[in-house]
Amino acid sequence: MDIYLPIAEVSVNWAVLVMLGALVGFVSGLFGIGGGFLMAPVLVFLGIPPTVAVASQASHVVASSTSGVIRYSGQGAVDYRMGGIMAVGGAIGAFAGVEVFRWLRLLGQADLVVALSYLLFLGSIGCLMLYESLTEILRRMRGETAPRKDRRRPMWLYGLPLKMRFPRSGLYISVLPPIGLGVLVGVLSAIMGVGGGFILVPAMLYVLRMKASVVVGTSLFQIIITTAITTVLQAGRNQTVDIVLSMILVVGGVVGAQFGARFAGKFRAEELRAALGLIVLLVGMQMGLDLFVRPSDLFLFAPGISDG
Amino acid sequence: MIPIPPPPPAILAPAAPAPAPVAAPERSVDTASDLRIAAALTDARVRVDSGFSGASIVLYGAVFNPGDQPTDVVVVVRGPDAAVRLVKKTRNMGVWLNSRPVLFEGAPGFYMTASTRPLSDIADFGQLRRLGVGVDHLRIAAPEESRTVTRYGVRDVVVSRLGEDYLDWRRAVIRLREAAALYNTDPDGVSFVDRGLFRAEVELPTTAPTGIYNAEVWLFQDGAPASVSNLTLTVEKVGFERDVYEMAHRQPWLYGIVCVFLAALTGYLASRLFRRF
Repeated sequence: MDIYLPIAEVSVNWAVLVMLGALVGFVSGLFGIGGGFLMAPVLVFLGIPPTVAVASQASHVVASSTSGVIRYSGQGAVDYRMGGIMAVGGAIGAFAGVEVFRWLRLLGQADLVVALSYLLFLGSIGCLMLYESLTEILRRMRGETAPRKDRRRPMWLYGLPLKMRFPRSGLYISVLPPIGLGVLVGVLSAIMGVGGGFILVPAMLYVLRMKASVVVGTSLFQIIITTAITTVLQAGRNQTVDIVLSMILVVGGVVGAQFGARFAGKFRAEELRAALGLIVLLVGMQMGLDLFVRPSDLFLFAPGISDG
Repeated sequence: MIPIPPPPPAILAPAAPAPAPVAAPERSVDTASDLRIAAALTDARVRVDSGFSGASIVLYGAVFNPGDQPTDVVVVVRGPDAAVRLVKKTRNMGVWLNSRPVLFEGAPGFYMTASTRPLSDIADFGQLRRLGVGVDHLRIAAPEESRTVTRYGVRDVVVSRLGEDYLDWRRAVIRLREAAALYNTDPDGVSFVDRGLFRAEVELPTTAPTGIYNAEVWLFQDGAPASVSNLTLTVEKVGFERDVYEMAHRQPWLYGIVCVFLAALTGYLASRLFRRF
């Protein structure tokens, strides 16, 4: 059952990898996210070098997002114009992120930045999601009606130049905020190996105020482009993409994603958001914990490049 | 001592030409007068394929000892050298942070010793240090952190930024590698199976680096090396594993594009497949 991975240069049980891919795929289909933030920590736990784990799972995100976009596209729930604009930002961010990651590895600070980004981003997003969805669940249980949503859009979004129409999203805004959002997600995708759906979806909903029905499909479309660029860059610059590892994960992932998507219909949206918020928060805390717990060995090998 | 008759003269080839590919027959060597050691590996080539889960290679050999003074056998296997970067975690304001990495140049990727007795019983510190035998005597340099200067008229004095800490760092490299089964010391890893005939096992973990390994088989007598036999062992990726590895390093951009394409194709196929039911 063990298989030797040519780039990671370790031997792992492939059945475990297929299961992991399927599980993460299920979660990703259920919540409409890439699921990269779950995958990377488990791969590292299995003994795969962190740099290879981060770079290889990006293609898992490509696969599960592709199958997601095809499904949403059939429902007309993908705003290709908005996704394309964000992907431009994503490409810039991915370029910068891969270079920053190289530089951090040279400094030996890659671990710290990865742990901090997980703690910061997952921690805060997880808290927000959990808070927002729990208040909604409580409100429903008490039988109260939801307060009228504040539909006013932030003024600064409208003061910016380069306005463009996005009919599918129901927006007429400047292209700068979507590009900026894309850059942020591109950088995170290179550093954390995640698609960035957990940041994109709330940001598109609450900051850009896009139509809720197109948010998930559009974010998946943008994620495909960003993670595809990240994968090519990681392979080209760092040679850390293990095709065998990524294909095993992909096969499990696409199957899991289909079941997850089917299962999602059985739950209310806020219950799903509460569960996702809890998972996000736990993973963030787990990764951040490393910063505060005394390590068992004070010394460790700095991952990556020996060729300078 | 009974004089052993000199080896017979090489058999003269008969008039008819000998079959071409046959090499000159090995002659047994006169071992009466000198103390020597001979060794070989059961497998000098380790193939790393998708089923690779470590390898165990038997090294066997013979000791020719004309006298009756006891001898010791020490087997040293070194993997290819590669630079190692190490960081130390330090606590700053309650948070564990990495220090600046220290580069150790030329630490072997694999190192094992097997011997008939603990190394410190076989030879003294100076001797082992000079030969570089034993993990404590591995030559691991940290040139990035040190410079050579002329001090008090003595040339090439190594000054290390790490100072006294250097030993801690060095020990950490060895400890971490030992934990990964890449460095190994076995004080009774060499066993005699018959008079003068010994064997030792080389255990390669899955994480063993690929490349050329050197095995030195030392024969010690009275705490001094009496004879040495050098062997090489090749660990290489073969078949699919090698193709993938080579492509990832020779055409990294194309390789990346293939990865993305395959992933997208799988995603597409899965969504087509699942639409039917």
